[in-house]
Amino acid sequence: MSKPHVVIIGGGATGAALAHDLSLRGVQVTVVERGEVTSGTTGRHHGLLHSGARYAVKDQESARECIQENMILRKIAPGSFELNNGLFVAITDEDMAYRPAFLEGLETCGIPYKEITPQEALAREPNLNPAVKAAVEVPDGTMDAMRLPLRFLATAQSNGAVVKTYTEVEELLMQGKTVVGVRVRDHVTEKTYTIGADLVVNAGGAWSGKIAAMAGVHVPLQPSPGVLVAVYGRWNNMVLNRMHRSGDGDIIVPQRTLSVIGTSSWVVEDPDRLEMKKEHIQLMYEYGAVLVPAIKNAKMRAAWAAARPLIGSGGAHTGRELSRTFKCFDHAERDGVEGFVTIAGGKATTARGMAEVTANVVVRKLGLDAPCRTREVVLLPHTAYYRRRW
Amino acid sequence: MVSETYQRPEPRQPSRRFGDWFRLRGRSAGGWAFVLHRLTGLVLVFYLFLHFYFLSYLARGPEAYAVMVAGMKSLWITVLEVGLIAAVLFHGLNGLRLMLMSLNIGVEQHEAMFWGTVVLSALLTAVAAVLML
Amino acid sequence: MATVTFKIYRYKPGEIDPPRYDTFQVEVEDHTTVLDVLEMLRLDDPTLTYRHSCHHGSCGTCGMLVNGKEVLACVTNVLALKTKTVVVEPLRNAPLVSDLVVDMTPFFEKYEPIGMPYVRASEYLPHSQPPEEVGSYMRFENCLECALCLSACPVVATDPDYLGPAALAAAARVVQEPRGQDVHGVLALVDNEKGCWRCHAAMECSAACPNDVNPGGMIMFLRETLLAGKHK
Repeated sequence: MSKPHVVIIGGGATGAALAHDLSLRGVQVTVVERGEVTSGTTGRHHGLLHSGARYAVKDQESARECIQENMILRKIAPGSFELNNGLFVAITDEDMAYRPAFLEGLETCGIPYKEITPQEALAREPNLNPAVKAAVEVPDGTMDAMRLPLRFLATAQSNGAVVKTYTEVEELLMQGKTVVGVRVRDHVTEKTYTIGADLVVNAGGAWSGKIAAMAGVHVPLQPSPGVLVAVYGRWNNMVLNRMHRSGDGDIIVPQRTLSVIGTSSWVVEDPDRLEMKKEHIQLMYEYGAVLVPAIKNAKMRAAWAAARPLIGSGGAHTGRELSRTFKCFDHAERDGVEGFVTIAGGKATTARGMAEVTANVVVRKLGLDAPCRTREVVLLPHTAYYRRRW
Repeated sequence: MVSETYQRPEPRQPSRRFGDWFRLRGRSAGGWAFVLHRLTGLVLVFYLFLHFYFLSYLARGPEAYAVMVAGMKSLWITVLEVGLIAAVLFHGLNGLRLMLMSLNIGVEQHEAMFWGTVVLSALLTAVAAVLML
Repeated sequence: MATVTFKIYRYKPGEIDPPRYDTFQVEVEDHTTVLDVLEMLRLDDPTLTYRHSCHHGSCGTCGMLVNGKEVLACVTNVLALKTKTVVVEPLRNAPLVSDLVVDMTPFFEKYEPIGMPYVRASEYLPHSQPPEEVGSYMRFENCLECALCLSACPVVATDPDYLGPAALAAAARVVQEPRGQDVHGVLALVDNEKGCWRCHAAMECSAACPNDVNPGGMIMFLRETLLAGKHK
């Protein structure tokens, strides 16, 4: 009996993790991605391996997801993170007022933490603002935004998955109210062809809304971009966060020989037109300087924007109001469209968890009895992705 | 149930042409040194065969050789000889630069060493030209 | 704000074959990068293909030739080029897939066997005291696997068997900081006529490298190491 075939639309972190999960469960997987893998939102994110502490007060569901996935990723992708931990630091009296709720949130969400003195904090991070009043250490880390998903894709490929880049879905093939495949255009040759599927998963991230519309269904996806600024120099070795309600420019993530300050938040209609806000670049420098005063003179390497794929209906103003959690939509239940599932929302840190939930839905619909194994299987190195026939 | 039989064509292999060595577009100092070293090397190899050809006149007797040498005393030949000296100087001095680099000496300053080689070769060539012309 | 002419190399097997250059007049601002321009052009022409991901010179995917020089498009400011016309072409010495997209398989065929760990010790802020459970601070290696060095190298241009600057620099990093790897084995991989001895010291690799790997210097370090017999 041949393997069931699933087409995943979207070659970002979610599509990559899902391709890996389903391949392990004996499903034939084809990933179609209109550009280079991770060229959507995934490649451009802050690179933070979240401890979840940032969401410990206001978005506890997301915080719990983050810390669980953080621990799993360390196990399945060893050697892919800068594991220096992170600090949440209180600089102002307002920050200090946030501290009790923060600590309580960490407890509630099961995030390991250690309170350290301002002196200890400055010993760990000499460039930290000397006005630091309190500091809490958490298991934050740095991930390489592109290379971690490459590990998922590499492992999936080794288990038979096929990744087709520069392959853009133009139409979902329907038979009545059932999705039976996709019609794609290969941008290498500009030829179109069809790929039949037993089930199609929409893992399009910020583009999930547009893709869902191809099946005539609605997914409440609100693209919400933010600005990030990478400066030369590694001003801190640990991730530095401001101990306050999530706001703009309150995280500095070290990465390689750079420091990335971020981020801000607004909403757009079209994920292809992010309406980059140049004035936010100066804002990032100002906010960054609250954590690390010397960073205000750091030379800029790049400033960019990427659209968070937030789940929420209209009415969102900046995107900060929306949860960072994820949701799997089975369109048969919701919309009467069979053979089509959307996985949207989430964070790069939780991609594996998102894939587990989605794959459970997929195999149930396919009538397979195959449990998830992605918590245990150690991923191939990212370089293995390129062991492929073009 | 993959129904497509579409196959994407293979990528186009990069062209590997002899002339690629001598590309100057987009090159920096070290690349110019590479190109010049190769050019002067080719000149020297070509000259080596030429030199054997001239020396072969000796086999035809001292008279024939003397006539050939006398015929070499034109301005054009002397200009070429100055060019040859320039090639020998650059190739030799840059060769020393390359030897030092291979011993991991002065690698950080390799661009300065290249300019030094060029300047020294030019100076000594000028001296030779003055002496010969 | 200024208007700059862009000439973009186009190739699609069987479709744009032989290759041609498409010309565009583009309005750019102070912050605009070459990648920003490609993204703008793609909105009107979805057939334009190029690699990109992180947009800040960390993933190494957007390597291409701009006015004949190897750069990462995402950190190449257009106005800083100071030319009225900007010519954008795919990297040299790599198989061409379409437009500006090259096949990275040959790069990784040479690079992967070296087995350089992706994480190294962080030399930044050496007097700081890391948390006990962290031990010592770590960071990602400099090499972005962008293949700008292979594009610039005149030996890679003509010898398909040459290991190339990226793989050799990775080998040098393993020798400098083994992290449990087999230094002997790695040196054996490079100590031959297609390894570190094939280099002609053009140093174009180091000139092209966007992240201070200095592959040329690393190759000379390997030569010194092998000549000194330090790891016999």
